[in-house]
Amino acid sequence: MTSIYQINSATRIRFARRFLISLSRMRRASTLGPPSDEEIRTRTRRIRIVSYSSMAFAVGSSRAWSRALVLKIRNRARFRGILRNKCLASKKKRVIKRHKVSREMSKTDMLRRLVPGGAGMGICGLLEETAHYMTCLATQVKVMQSIADHYSK
Amino acid sequence: MGGNGDNNDGKAFQNGGQSVINCQSSGMSGNPFFASAWDPVVSMSQHENFGGSSMVSHSEFTNSPYPVVMENQGNSTTSHLVHYPSDSSYAELMPKFPSYGSGSFSEMVCSFGLTECSQVANTGCHLNYSSNKEANVERTITNCVESQEDRQLTEEPIIGATPDGKRRKRVAESNSPFDPNKNAEGERQKDPSGHSSEVQKEQDEKKPRTEQNTAANLRGKQAAKQAKDNSHSGEAPNENYIHVRREKISERMRLLQELVPGCNKITGKAVMLDEIINYVQSLQQQVEFLSMKLATVNPELSHDIERILSKDAALDHDLQSLFQMGFDSSSAIDSLGANGRLKPEL
Repeated sequence: MTSIYQINSATRIRFARRFLISLSRMRRASTLGPPSDEEIRTRTRRIRIVSYSSMAFAVGSSRAWSRALVLKIRNRARFRGILRNKCLASKKKRVIKRHKVSREMSKTDMLRRLVPGGAGMGICGLLEETAHYMTCLATQVKVMQSIADHYSK
Repeated sequence: MGGNGDNNDGKAFQNGGQSVINCQSSGMSGNPFFASAWDPVVSMSQHENFGGSSMVSHSEFTNSPYPVVMENQGNSTTSHLVHYPSDSSYAELMPKFPSYGSGSFSEMVCSFGLTECSQVANTGCHLNYSSNKEANVERTITNCVESQEDRQLTEEPIIGATPDGKRRKRVAESNSPFDPNKNAEGERQKDPSGHSSEVQKEQDEKKPRTEQNTAANLRGKQAAKQAKDNSHSGEAPNENYIHVRREKISERMRLLQELVPGCNKITGKAVMLDEIINYVQSLQQQVEFLSMKLATVNPELSHDIERILSKDAALDHDLQSLFQMGFDSSSAIDSLGANGRLKPEL
């Protein structure tokens, strides 16, 4: 059972490769000279999106969270978040009505928010997706860390 | 060096998390502050409810637990102590004593083997933040004296608070046999909040198991016992289904416990969920931080990366070496740099 939550080195390498390719593409498109704050912010956002999408594509469609993440990024790119906001807004309303009185959000709801695609799952599936998502996030962080270290040398 | 400094920054999240976790496991008195540091909105409100009622409750029961504990201790093994704090409300009293300065109860517990108690107490304490605890304590003290508990109660906190609709239905059915508990449950059910009612229902379900333990085996016999106990409700197949689900959930929680660093000693679903949420949030923050760092780093294409990307044969090997070095230590990067960076060896 634990093997499900262990990321293959193949996945890691797929992610790294995709991430590096996107990074290099981004670098090529950037302007020369010292970047302004706004540029840095935009680039930060883009790099973050690129890292998440690289991870999602590296994992493929085998996990629910990667599918949800891929869909979210595609929708965000195409429709500027119209669909996403509509879905999320309706779900948020339902959640808030339930737990309105003393707590705004229970722990499982918070977890659902954190894990992509978590809103439409039961606890059981949510925990499994969380485990896989956590390991993928950890590898993502490690890879990005090593790339950043390599670049800063 | 910038790289080393950034390494420290990047690890600061993990270190911070570790230190916070250590603070939690070392002393319960630190718990409210720990909780508020991570999630002020939720945890402070929890703590307020928690503190308000416990002040009243603990003074009442300062004397009553003592003879109970002593009596049982004379008769039974220390393994029974594991079961006392598994009752969430009872365990809740334990951490409160040190924090409110009454060390007498903790001294008592010390003589009975504190570590077991405190560990399980930590779990129980964390689990429950709802306010009405007095009736629970009474009932569970009598239960502890009377019943021959088995190991399965240690699983209770883990199996506990799941916002599952089927559990509510079951609880409603199991309410009827427990007449002495009716007042307490009536009290508890007045609590309007959704989540704390879920937590209370978790306690409700703990009561039948507390009172009617017959089996020592955790899983198989627990299923059979539940089927027997609730046979009056005529829902044995549903009970099995719920138990299968609970087993799955607890199994996954255990796996998650292995994944999250520093959570080996935590038993209890609520604490574990907190840790998981914090860990995922910290990982996402690290991704954000690293993406910012990558954005600010000199946007020059290093030729080795280009070379690596262009040559597929060398890609895997070099990427592996790159990442392995990154995983092992930062000093390995220095040796990497000394070699003239990632040269494909082919």
